[in-house]
Amino acid sequence: MILLLLLPATVLIALIFGIPLIRYAWISTHAFSVITGLELVPNQGANWLRLINDQRFWQDTFQTVRFASLSVSIELLLAICIALILDQKWRGRGITRAISLLPWALPTTIMALGWRWIFNTPFGPIDQIFNIVGIESINILSNPNITWIATVIADVWKTTPFIALILLAGLQSIPNDLYEAFRLEGGKPIQAFFKITLPLLRPYILLAVLFRLAQAFGVFDLIQVMTGGGPASSTESLALYAYLNAMRFLDFGYSATLMLGSFFLLVIACILSWIIISRFQYQLNEEKT
Amino acid sequence: MKLKYLYLILLLVASLFFTISWAYSTQPKVINILMPAPFADSTSDLIKRYNDEHRQNIQIKVTRGPRETEAVSDLAISSLLLGRSSFDLILMDVTWLPKYAAAGWIAPLDSFIEKADWESLALGARIGNSYKGKIYRWPLAADMGLLYWRKDLMKNPPRTPEELIDISLKLQNEGKVNYGYVWQGRQYEGLSCVFLEILNGFGGKWINNSGDVSIGSNQSKEAAKWLRDLIDTGVSPNAVTNFSENESLQIFSSGQAALMRNWPYAWAELQKPSSVVKNKVGVTTMVAKKGYETTSTLGSWGLSILSTSDKKEESYNVISYLTSEDAQKELFEKNGYTPTSTSIFKNEKLIKDFPILNALGNALEVAKPRPQTPLYAQLSDVLQRELSSILTENKNINDSMNKAKEKTSQILLASGEIE
Repeated sequence: MILLLLLPATVLIALIFGIPLIRYAWISTHAFSVITGLELVPNQGANWLRLINDQRFWQDTFQTVRFASLSVSIELLLAICIALILDQKWRGRGITRAISLLPWALPTTIMALGWRWIFNTPFGPIDQIFNIVGIESINILSNPNITWIATVIADVWKTTPFIALILLAGLQSIPNDLYEAFRLEGGKPIQAFFKITLPLLRPYILLAVLFRLAQAFGVFDLIQVMTGGGPASSTESLALYAYLNAMRFLDFGYSATLMLGSFFLLVIACILSWIIISRFQYQLNEEKT
Repeated sequence: MKLKYLYLILLLVASLFFTISWAYSTQPKVINILMPAPFADSTSDLIKRYNDEHRQNIQIKVTRGPRETEAVSDLAISSLLLGRSSFDLILMDVTWLPKYAAAGWIAPLDSFIEKADWESLALGARIGNSYKGKIYRWPLAADMGLLYWRKDLMKNPPRTPEELIDISLKLQNEGKVNYGYVWQGRQYEGLSCVFLEILNGFGGKWINNSGDVSIGSNQSKEAAKWLRDLIDTGVSPNAVTNFSENESLQIFSSGQAALMRNWPYAWAELQKPSSVVKNKVGVTTMVAKKGYETTSTLGSWGLSILSTSDKKEESYNVISYLTSEDAQKELFEKNGYTPTSTSIFKNEKLIKDFPILNALGNALEVAKPRPQTPLYAQLSDVLQRELSSILTENKNINDSMNKAKEKTSQILLASGEIE
């Protein structure tokens, strides 16, 4: 009976996830580009060989991983603070909650364009502030060592509210009696945070991190609009590379291979972060006993 | 009495029915064109007049595409991949043509084109419309890279790379401008366009006529070095490596630079009241070393008919209308679009009213296309990557250009474009 009830969901997932994946796998074993006249020609795994030897793929993987890990970590830290503040009772909390969601509600392309101007040299406000303070202007968007951090800042600004929202929901599910009991036993607020809040928030943190990792790993619009992958391809993400191959180079075979390749990497990243966060819980339990 | 009313009502209903069915049967054919938004705006008057004249037969419907060139292509390709695209005509950038033709998305126009019409086009406007010997596109507006210079700061524009640096440094030292020369150094298509002009000016080639890759040549290294020297000597601001057309124009129109590389659209912008350099700007072509020809990268937009369109004849009729000499004149006068017909460049009255027409005609004569292959986007991507790393990471020029050559050859070899 239970199996029967699961059926509709399973079928739906198979339809919207399974079929495209299978099709991608199928395309990735074929040459399928403007050169083949947009016909599928089997090429015995040549795409996969190319992927493994493709320096650019590994470079983009490195960039995507460092972008995703740094932005998700910062977002998580900030979001915990924001969620804690928004969870307290104070005047104007309602309106603050609404306002804090604004960045997340904005379309990415528009906010990316905004950030592009903010970081612009010499017209952007950041450069102007540097000028006034008397620091020599650094070309934020044309310095391969710095530009990627600018994209992280834009991403953090945009998606922290999303994590904060999930964590806020988590905070509200923690019963107040726990804190009261803890306080009566003589526990300090800081201890309460580590002994009660964090452990009980864990499933929400896991959820938020997995969501965001998957999103950040597939980052496209932010990078495309803000830097176009430059300078010197230092901000090019895997999704951007796959997009270039599909839409600009009309090489769908290799693009599908890239997408599948990065899909496998993403699965690994998600499993890893799941293990780490579960382990964290385990240790906390150990401490308790 | 009542019967009379009934007759009247019946008559009314019947006539209404006939009107509707007649209107339905003679419904005009709709030609759907995809254009980037700025083109859709500037052709809207022309199209409105056409629709008024051809109310019964053909109606043009314009789909406003995005502003950015490549975003329009993305939109077109997405619709083309689905099989039956809803468009009949696409306004195409010159670099898309071989790709679209090789994919079989656009139809050859040879059977429609009259020889005399073709020959009325300026030589530069005829380039970039064909693939494998067939014509796939009719130019709507020519477009080529130009060197804008400040008439109030110098007597004559620089003609050689050395002169450009000398003049710039002199003006900068005198404190007349902050920067000498602004161009497009961001990692995107514009950088390839800038480089191609310099490369030609140093006597180099990207891919030569027989398909050999010559991007790693000494000339190409010298050209790349010159671009980096512009930044190192302070002639161009450091930030130029993040400039696209818009940023260059901002700097130049605010009077902060003596020279700018840009497309013809910038001229109209520089004539606006907000520009401090209004009436102080001259236009010429890019510098070249002594003994080598000055060239300008061909941009140009043109109309192509999609293979899936079942209204090809009507579509070609629309092309003829939108690219007629009257239309060209109107688009030039109102929007500054570069004409394509020789006769317009020779129109005395127009030259008197718009002295820039001469400069545009000259530039069009030396316009050079970017490599015309379906693989162009890949080749340009390779070049942009290496140039950007030379300009922003201070990478060794020798290594980078050799790498560009190696990658370019790989791409061409893998596709069977060269043996």
